Amino acid sequence: MASVEYQGLVKNFGSIEVIRDLSLTVEEGEFVVLLGASGCGKTTLLRMTAGLEEISGGDLFIGGKRMNEVHPRDRNIAMVFQNYALYPTMKVFENIAFSLQISKVRASEVRRRVEEAAAILNLSEYLDRYPRELSGGQRQRVAMGRAMVRNAQVFLFDEPLSNLDAKLRAHMRVEIRQLHGRLGTTTIYVTHDQIEAMTMADKIVLMREGQIEQVGTPDDLFDSPRTRFAADFIGSPSMNFLEGSIEESDGHAYFRSPGLRLSVPDKMAENNSVTAGLRPTDLVIEDSGPLVGDVILSEKTGADVNLHVRTESGPIIVTVSKEMSVLAGDNIRLTINPEKLHLFDNPNGVSLRSN
Amino acid sequence: MMRMLVAYMVVALFMFPLYYWGTTAFKNAKEIFNTPPNVWTFSPTVRNFEEVFGISLGFFRQQEVLPGGGNFYMAPRLWDTIVVALGSTVLSIIVATLAAYGLSRMNFRGRHAFVGWVLSTRMMPPVAVAIPMFFIYKNVGLMDSYLGIILIHAVMNLPLAVLLLKSFFDDIPKDIDECALIDGATRWTIFRRIVLPMAKGGVAATAVLCFIFSWTEFIFVLTLTQTGLKTVPVVSSSFVTSTGTAWGNMAALGVAATAPAFLFILLVQKQLVRGLTLGSLKE
Repeated sequence: MASVEYQGLVKNFGSIEVIRDLSLTVEEGEFVVLLGASGCGKTTLLRMTAGLEEISGGDLFIGGKRMNEVHPRDRNIAMVFQNYALYPTMKVFENIAFSLQISKVRASEVRRRVEEAAAILNLSEYLDRYPRELSGGQRQRVAMGRAMVRNAQVFLFDEPLSNLDAKLRAHMRVEIRQLHGRLGTTTIYVTHDQIEAMTMADKIVLMREGQIEQVGTPDDLFDSPRTRFAADFIGSPSMNFLEGSIEESDGHAYFRSPGLRLSVPDKMAENNSVTAGLRPTDLVIEDSGPLVGDVILSEKTGADVNLHVRTESGPIIVTVSKEMSVLAGDNIRLTINPEKLHLFDNPNGVSLRSN
Repeated sequence: MMRMLVAYMVVALFMFPLYYWGTTAFKNAKEIFNTPPNVWTFSPTVRNFEEVFGISLGFFRQQEVLPGGGNFYMAPRLWDTIVVALGSTVLSIIVATLAAYGLSRMNFRGRHAFVGWVLSTRMMPPVAVAIPMFFIYKNVGLMDSYLGIILIHAVMNLPLAVLLLKSFFDDIPKDIDECALIDGATRWTIFRRIVLPMAKGGVAATAVLCFIFSWTEFIFVLTLTQTGLKTVPVVSSSFVTSTGTAWGNMAALGVAATAPAFLFILLVQKQLVRGLTLGSLKE
């Protein structure tokens, strides 16, 4: 186990800057998820950690030691690739044992460690098979087994679940998380899937265009997004955004938008161009609500229903329980608790709430 | 029905010359020149083979042992051909797999120009190279030796072999190399234990092409050998003599010379089919 620290990290591909002055600390034993859209540099950051990409500037420390020029095999890390990168000509046992065999570990010790890892991962009966004879989830587990036997200081996962179907993905999320609980190894996990990030992370690092947008616990990111980008990225369905302004009248502050006036906490200063963010789950149907609209579509997701509503201020989505029988064509009124309203300054998108 | 017919016709078009040539090896001189030709009916004889290889196949036919030798004694030539073809194939494959892996995986100056350079060596007709090679070989002392012919065949094969193998290596995801690198493997270990086994099919396909090239190569063997060794394509021409062409003997040698190549391809066939389809089947 070791901490990972990035200090002012930079990565250029030719004249293109993919990582810009990035600093971050991953504590020992922490499960950190690098989250972001494709092309935001999260995989590049992971590959730099592994030593598969050169570092153009700044420093990388693993376990307190500077690792910039250290060869991948000497960093004592293990990595699980998106396509698993299993060795197709070797059986499962050899796949898991490979790293031990080439570092000249005694055969009996190799067998013991492989069997131990296989037992944890429910792979014991598949050790004699070739990777092509395994299902997607089993291959995924072999890839993890390969990482486990190494006793590596840091585990790196590069979108490991993206090739699995939805059900298996949910299952593997739990398995990976349980494995982390059991081994306690510092883990850096890259994904573009915010649900994976929310369900698995101790700490989410949201990235955008090679920089960190926000770092925090899943709750931090969900409840207090620091920017409009962060607010938009986390949560499904995504947050609704309405353009408007903050005005003061008779001592209270209000968010104003065409045909709408919402109370906001009084400490807000007047501002003539803001974006209000309303989580679909925070909106409540109420007869006297200030937000009026027509339901144009209702989407069932099981326990909940997502209502697509057309309002004067723009289209919004509201998540309500399915017991609320609202049908397409209905006219509804909505309200939101002022504490749950997110407000972002235009055009820089920085949150006006708190800090 | 029509399609079947056309298919059979095409097959017949290609197979008939082989059949005619194969049967010629078992005909006596008179029957070879019959008009109209005896295509289906003739009295088979192994005399042509006996003459070419200086052996007696008396158990086929009650006859005295032939005096082995003369101009037509070709058994050692068949051996020469096998040595040259196997030697140059092995050498090509060893060099080409290493070069192709480097080209596929490593970054170095001029890597992209490399493919152009490699190909440019094949743009000249071999005859243009043969004369300079003759003088070089004469001075270096490679003339008339197995090593010389193996070298020149390997050199001629390398460009194609390197490019072919590079494309097979390119089809193997780089993630696998990187994963092994993190696992602690050296480049050499990765090449030997992971990439090479995965590209087995491609290596087999390339080996077959190299082997066939060397097996049938004519111009370099003709110019770079004198009496020490000769391969089958070259000695075939010695059947054309001032007193006529020994068609029966030529056909017998040809039939015999097909056997080793056929055997070689049979051995690597299992890998070959996979090799030729590799890349179209992505896992």
